[in-house]
Amino acid sequence: MREPERDVREREREAGRGAGRDGRGPGRDGRGARRVAGWLADAALVGYFVFALFPIAWMLVLSLKPADQLFSTYFSFTPTLGSYRTVLGGGEGIPFLRFFVNSLVVSVGAVALSLLVGLPAAYASARWRFKGSENLMFTLLSFRFAPELTVIIPLFVLYQRLGLFDTYVGMIWVLQLVTLPLVVWIMRSYFADLTPELEQAALLDGYSRTQAFFRVALPLVKPGVAAVSLLAFIFAWNNFVFPLILTSNEAQTVTVGALSFLGGDRPKYNLTAAAALVSVVPPLLLALTIQRYLVRGLSFGAVKS
Amino acid sequence: MTELELRDLRKTYRARGRPPVEAVRGLDVRLRSGELLGLLGPSGCGKSTTLRMIAGLETVTGGDVLVGGVPVTDRPARRRNVGVAFENYALYPPLTVRENLAFGLRARRRADRGDVDRRVALIAERVGLTAVLDDRPATLSSGQKQRVSLARALVREPDVLLLDEPLSHLDAAQRDTTRREVKRIQRDLGHTAILVTHDQEEALSLADRIAVMRDGVIEQLGTAHEIYDHPATRFVADFVGEPAINLLPAVTAPDGRAAVSGAVLLPLPVRLPPGREVVVGVRPEDLALTGEDGVRARVLAHEPLLEYGVATLALDGVEDPVAALTDPGTRLARDDRVRVAADPGLTHVFDAETGVSLR
Repeated sequence: MREPERDVREREREAGRGAGRDGRGPGRDGRGARRVAGWLADAALVGYFVFALFPIAWMLVLSLKPADQLFSTYFSFTPTLGSYRTVLGGGEGIPFLRFFVNSLVVSVGAVALSLLVGLPAAYASARWRFKGSENLMFTLLSFRFAPELTVIIPLFVLYQRLGLFDTYVGMIWVLQLVTLPLVVWIMRSYFADLTPELEQAALLDGYSRTQAFFRVALPLVKPGVAAVSLLAFIFAWNNFVFPLILTSNEAQTVTVGALSFLGGDRPKYNLTAAAALVSVVPPLLLALTIQRYLVRGLSFGAVKS
Repeated sequence: MTELELRDLRKTYRARGRPPVEAVRGLDVRLRSGELLGLLGPSGCGKSTTLRMIAGLETVTGGDVLVGGVPVTDRPARRRNVGVAFENYALYPPLTVRENLAFGLRARRRADRGDVDRRVALIAERVGLTAVLDDRPATLSSGQKQRVSLARALVREPDVLLLDEPLSHLDAAQRDTTRREVKRIQRDLGHTAILVTHDQEEALSLADRIAVMRDGVIEQLGTAHEIYDHPATRFVADFVGEPAINLLPAVTAPDGRAAVSGAVLLPLPVRLPPGREVVVGVRPEDLALTGEDGVRARVLAHEPLLEYGVATLALDGVEDPVAALTDPGTRLARDDRVRVAADPGLTHVFDAETGVSLR
């Protein structure tokens, strides 16, 4: 999510510079004024850059500090990777690596399940209006605007009784409540933007509706699938309340796991910082790899002939 | 080749909380093998719905579609062997022209690779696309896209070809050439075809027969000349012909003519009892500017075009202006006094209430 933002900033900056450089017409004075405006824009963007990245820089500093210099407020300290070593090595009796793997499994699982169910659902709701279709779509959306805390206690009881508490299946099932509406609602508009004649031509050629979906419609919305998968993954990965209440150890995820370094006799801020930074890596890598699709996916409309 | 028949074809859209909409209300048409029928009508008249029902893309509420004498009404689109050239071409953007054409053939497993290649090459040559076979749709001109769309519909050798507004997205120059191409290709391959259009010129030039549709029914079915010379209803008279026919409400007079606004007397093609309310139709090309006799009129405007001119006239005592074609070189100025006359053999008369021709 950070990447497209940076893109926009860079584009803005370039636009600002461009206007400064090749501004013709108003003459020398105008050009000078534009150059100053360009610099001001740059300065403002740098200001925003610092503002946006400062918390992350602070976390980075924190994670590199040795435990005894943790509370010093000046920036001279002996940098050490010790915190990372402790966190990844399962120090403090906290199996952080397992939490990391858990996060991967349940997030990927939730996204995969949502795509499996959500893509056909989105397609159907974009192509056909059937009895109650709008109600169904609204119900799906309502999972998103109900705060998770409103359902967490009944869910906790249910999970205990059903044996889903602290299991992968249970976590995937509950995170799917977060990701499925996202997939269905976003992909629905992608499918709706495709002209139905493409599939109808395939139907006339002898393809079945299922084949038309897989061979005609789906390949054309790939950028959308990439974008929505990333969004869904981030939402699942960053979810805190569900793993906090519905897992204890076996299926616990990094969001809750990173916090467990704060427990105990003394809060280990350096370890928490290291754990938090490590947990940022997968969404970041994912965003970087599919960035190309993402930009295309978010600025849809290229498919229309 | 194959006959196509529509028997009492009907389509009613029902939505909850709204009155049902009868989009198509009982069409009966029979196309000879190799015939091209034009479905002509304004938007919303049910012509596209009819086409989609024939293709199997829309469910049929009542009646039957018969291809080669066999009812196909209950078959899904893929088992009807009907080809459609869509208005927006429906070309698959990521595939080349060649792949687009082959895509349809691959659906049926029976076609082996060599056969697919051969048939694609053949149809590409027929429609003149050989040079662009490896291009993607985005790089083609609209005329080329239309030809790909046509080739795509034809490559499977369908029994029936359906053309949905095939020329509507082309500019004027391309329209002319593409129209001739479409005609030639359909003739050469001998497909029974239906052309859906709201453009009379397209229908007149391409179709063997034309069905003029309005509100889900065919108002008149016939050749271009039959429809132009003997419009069955006031609507048909009004819809076909450019510039549009002059339609004047009138009452029949004892002498066999019709009185417009109680003042002007126009000749009628048939003898009608006096006192009947009618609408008299005179095409602008049948309204002649004469020297001495005829109806007195005042010139409101004159547009000299190349092959002819269009004069807008106010007949004395009549409120609605009428249009008349003038010979090239005619000079008319606003407020000039002229006289116009209509040939009784070329006027039309319709019932004022039902709009049906009384000829």
